Amino acid sequence: MKIEMFFTPGCSACVTQHDKLLATAQTAIKGVEWHDINVLDNVDRAADLGVLTLPSIVIDGEVVFTSMPTVAQLRKALIERARGRA
Amino acid sequence: MFTIGKLAGQTGVSNDTLRYYEQERLAKPAAKSPGGYRLYDKDSTRRIHFIKHAQSCGFTLAEIRELLALRGRDKACCGDVRTRAIEKKLQIESKIRAMKAMSRALDQLITDCADEKQPVKECVIIAALERANLSTPAQ
Repeated sequence: MKIEMFFTPGCSACVTQHDKLLATAQTAIKGVEWHDINVLDNVDRAADLGVLTLPSIVIDGEVVFTSMPTVAQLRKALIERARGRA
Repeated sequence: MFTIGKLAGQTGVSNDTLRYYEQERLAKPAAKSPGGYRLYDKDSTRRIHFIKHAQSCGFTLAEIRELLALRGRDKACCGDVRTRAIEKKLQIESKIRAMKAMSRALDQLITDCADEKQPVKECVIIAALERANLSTPAQ
């Protein structure tokens, strides 16, 4: 599973939550790919995916969170996706 | 202090628009005269220029209201404003892509309709648009 977190430098909410969300993803899904993407360096990629608000979290190419999720929300989304794949 | 007409003259915004901004809680008069006329000050002029510049960057009035609120919030920082600017850029990029797709679709229709002298009933563009309409799910 591939997770892309689109953020802007200086986003205090992103800094606060980032490590917790990353740890949650790594615990919930074995071998998860996590990419931090500075939207200013990747405007085309963001537009391709339909990212319109920041921060946004894209899972396997689909915009799943258009604002910062809680740890519980991310865990739930990841587990549901993993079940859907099985 | 000056009247709405003078503010309109200074900013290039009509009296009606200034009253609309007031109704939309974007810019209210600094005071009212004893006769009940709206009175404005230099800060009003700055605020109207701010609104005009933000509109020219694509911000909606609702978004400008948020920017103005941020401007007056002590705890807000430039990063908050910057994030809104980046989000606006993303929205504009998304619209540009959608419009380019429309333009390409029109190119295709224009190319398909090579015979300009054909009667309108046999027009390829009309036929293609009707087909597209049939394949669009009912709202």
